[in-house]
Amino acid sequence: MKKRWGAIICAVLVLAWLSGCATVETSKKVPYKLSPQGTVIWEDEFEFLPPPPDWKLLRVETGENDINFGFMRSDPGPFPSTTSFAYDEEPFGCSTKFEEREREFFKRFLFNAILQFQVLEKRKTQVLGGEGLEATVEGKDPVKGEKVRAKVVFGKRGDRVVGFYITQWRPMDGNYDLSAFEIFDRFVNSFKFLKKSFYETL
Amino acid sequence: MEGHQRNLYLYERFNARVLGVSRDDVTTLKYWAKSLDLTFPLLSNITAFLGASFDIQPEGQPIFGRRTVIIDKKGVIRYVRDGSPDFKDILLFLKKLTQEGGKP
Repeated sequence: MKKRWGAIICAVLVLAWLSGCATVETSKKVPYKLSPQGTVIWEDEFEFLPPPPDWKLLRVETGENDINFGFMRSDPGPFPSTTSFAYDEEPFGCSTKFEEREREFFKRFLFNAILQFQVLEKRKTQVLGGEGLEATVEGKDPVKGEKVRAKVVFGKRGDRVVGFYITQWRPMDGNYDLSAFEIFDRFVNSFKFLKKSFYETL
Repeated sequence: MEGHQRNLYLYERFNARVLGVSRDDVTTLKYWAKSLDLTFPLLSNITAFLGASFDIQPEGQPIFGRRTVIIDKKGVIRYVRDGSPDFKDILLFLKKLTQEGGKP
């Protein structure tokens, strides 16, 4: 049977598309407060254990009013020795199934930065009070002489998939600092939603 | 477009459908839709008559501006916004449209 359409949304495209880019937070208005327990309350929406003070706050601009933020740290050693991690309300991809979303996500994650990419480990995990998916990957760029190790954790907020990810860049002959990944794990494991998302209230 | 794809289940709830319109050719749009795993229709309008009728083709330029338009079940344009789509605004408008007109 033919279904009637109540409304049609026409989205007109332009030829160029903008991807998200990260900038260090410069706004004077602080979007968080500290709880007596030492956790951060972010815009009265999230609660989490912050990283040590040598990590700088990052806001990620997506242009589509989604909530993204994270932290970054300059590591000892030559360029590009840095580590950053983030919470992403709308990670790349569309699917609400973790396996599908992971496939969609890695089509674009680090897309412009690496030439060789491999999944080191992928497993189910518990996150945000429910089931999730965790993937550890490594990318190498022999032309630039750089490599990156990343871990991505997908979880659910209502019907939608949200993501956490950490990326650690090193020169090709550099060593990864896995203690940063432990800090990331503590951040992820402590993360709580304090209220329903916009999409859950519709 | 990825944002629209993520929101398809919510558009379904509000009895709405999404169409993308572009001046790109069909082959280009097929590859583009595949790369983003888009499942809703993309219309190739290489002659640009849709852009002209929606008044979003800058004079003397070969591209469309970016505009989101919501048309109700009677064919009346109810919502027009330029620039990147504000998905939350779109969803709130669709919810309002559903509430004001009963089940569209």
